[in-house]
Amino acid sequence: MSTLALQQQALLGAVLHEPGSPAMRDAQALLQRLVLEPSSRGLAAYRANGQALAERALAAAYPVVAAMVGPACLNALARTLWHGHPSRHGDVARWGGDLPALLELEAQLADFPYLADLARVEWALHLAAGAPDDSAEPASFALLTQQDPATSTLRLAPGTALIRSAWPVASLVNAHLHGDPALPEAAARLHRREAERALVWRRALRPLVRPSDAGEAALLEVLLRRQGLVPALDAALATDPGFDFGAWLAHAVGDGLVLGACLRDERDVTIHP
Amino acid sequence: MTTALPMPSSRADLGPEVGIGWRHPHYGALLERRPALDFIEVHSENFFAPGGAALAVLREGRALYPVSLHGVGLSLGSACGVDAWHLDQLARLVEAIDPVRVSDHASFARGALDTDSGPGLVHGADLLPVPFTREALDVLCANVQRVQERLRRPIAVENLSAYLRWRDVDLVEPAFLAELTRRTGCQLLVDVNNIFVNALNARLWGGETEPLDACRAWLDAIPADRVAEIHLAGHIHCGDIVIDDHGSRVCPEVWSLYRHAIGRFGAVPTLIEWDTDVPPLDVLLDEAARARAAAQRAPHTPVEPAEAAAAWTAPDRSMQARTPMPDTEATL
Repeated sequence: MSTLALQQQALLGAVLHEPGSPAMRDAQALLQRLVLEPSSRGLAAYRANGQALAERALAAAYPVVAAMVGPACLNALARTLWHGHPSRHGDVARWGGDLPALLELEAQLADFPYLADLARVEWALHLAAGAPDDSAEPASFALLTQQDPATSTLRLAPGTALIRSAWPVASLVNAHLHGDPALPEAAARLHRREAERALVWRRALRPLVRPSDAGEAALLEVLLRRQGLVPALDAALATDPGFDFGAWLAHAVGDGLVLGACLRDERDVTIHP
Repeated sequence: MTTALPMPSSRADLGPEVGIGWRHPHYGALLERRPALDFIEVHSENFFAPGGAALAVLREGRALYPVSLHGVGLSLGSACGVDAWHLDQLARLVEAIDPVRVSDHASFARGALDTDSGPGLVHGADLLPVPFTREALDVLCANVQRVQERLRRPIAVENLSAYLRWRDVDLVEPAFLAELTRRTGCQLLVDVNNIFVNALNARLWGGETEPLDACRAWLDAIPADRVAEIHLAGHIHCGDIVIDDHGSRVCPEVWSLYRHAIGRFGAVPTLIEWDTDVPPLDVLLDEAARARAAAQRAPHTPVEPAEAAAAWTAPDRSMQARTPMPDTEATL
């Protein structure tokens, strides 16, 4: 390892490792041999800046989780995530996707088992906000009648994702962000443990989420796997024999969820796992 | 809709172009009011998403003003090199926005680290200081050249405020930056507040040089013809450390140094930065007006670069110990 790489690894480790951990102590001991004294106050400034940045980034990406757990808890989660799973890139907006997994493991939050799925919905909304732009092409729906259905599919809105949950996570997010449903109604759904399939998509520049019914969810999951419209319809009808594709498509186009039709190999769908 | 473009500030006095950092709280106000500014500056990383509202807003701003793209995450000083993904995003943004300038810092944030996610390259999301050594200079030059070749244009590299001082030092900072620009053809972005913050911290660490004297000497040692942009901002004195938080008005000492800088560098485009506790837009516009007024009062007494650089050529550990400090830029 070059001298410069060693210097940089020491400083990065002293800033990013968990405070008080053996790795942090080792990095700091090495760093102290490489920098002039006094160094503790400057090092503390870097650590504090990184933690404050992590707190702001997480609060921005997960406003509903932040509101539900409170700022002290969210900041503690941000610091844990920052030190355990630091950013891999220089765009902090891409950092924080590991929060749902952390919430599942956090023993102190075991009484709130819906938080992880709620965080998954918020991360999908966060990703949808910056997904590549796309626009509707109504004329393209002619393909559905002109082409072999086996070769056709639908172009979905930027950021389209589906999160299945045992909890009413779409209702909880919308209650907090938009007041619809009202918070008491969302709380009642939570009390009744109503499962929801949260459908996330972006209409124009606005990320949205709503509960999805069984047939629609089955259809979209197949489309999101980049399969064609025929197997998607088969899945929808297998789940809900009464699924009305024509009525659904009209609503989906009106909501900006479906932008057009295309041949399967032309599709450009953004998939968020 | 056809609307008039905002008038730039008066160019009749041949003063510097003056702009402000355009941050989220002012997205709407700036587009609505269209104040007289010569350019706006944004942090490149805030617009790396390939679509959505942020990029749409930036396009609206670009339709009204020249845009200076200022990065905080390229990590130009990293021994492991520049992140190809990051460079791809920046190149795409440059292509989309056609900025008047592209800049980042003489800092590092990227390196190998063992974490709970396993070993790999991580990004500290901060502006961490590089040692002013020949080895670090070689790395910085290679990374800057890679970026410039990809963007097919020169970039400007900003001096840092650093809160740690490396023991290893081969060059003082102005000589380090002068060598960087000589070898790569890059430009320099001189942050006057960073210089002053470093000088104040040097005093806190036991240095004896009067901060304003140290800062003037620093400015006099920079090759004037390579300076593409000047940054002005506020800082906070915490008692035991001075932090470049971009959270207050430019202080009188930094205005004094700014006049010195303009006198030496000429009418270099000047940016008012404010990233913490962002005040109403009018406060930033007032700071921009002060910058124009300060530049008009600048003495035009350029110092010969060669003469000044010579005074800084010899490595001087004691000066190094008195001068350096970071830049939280508090804005990533």
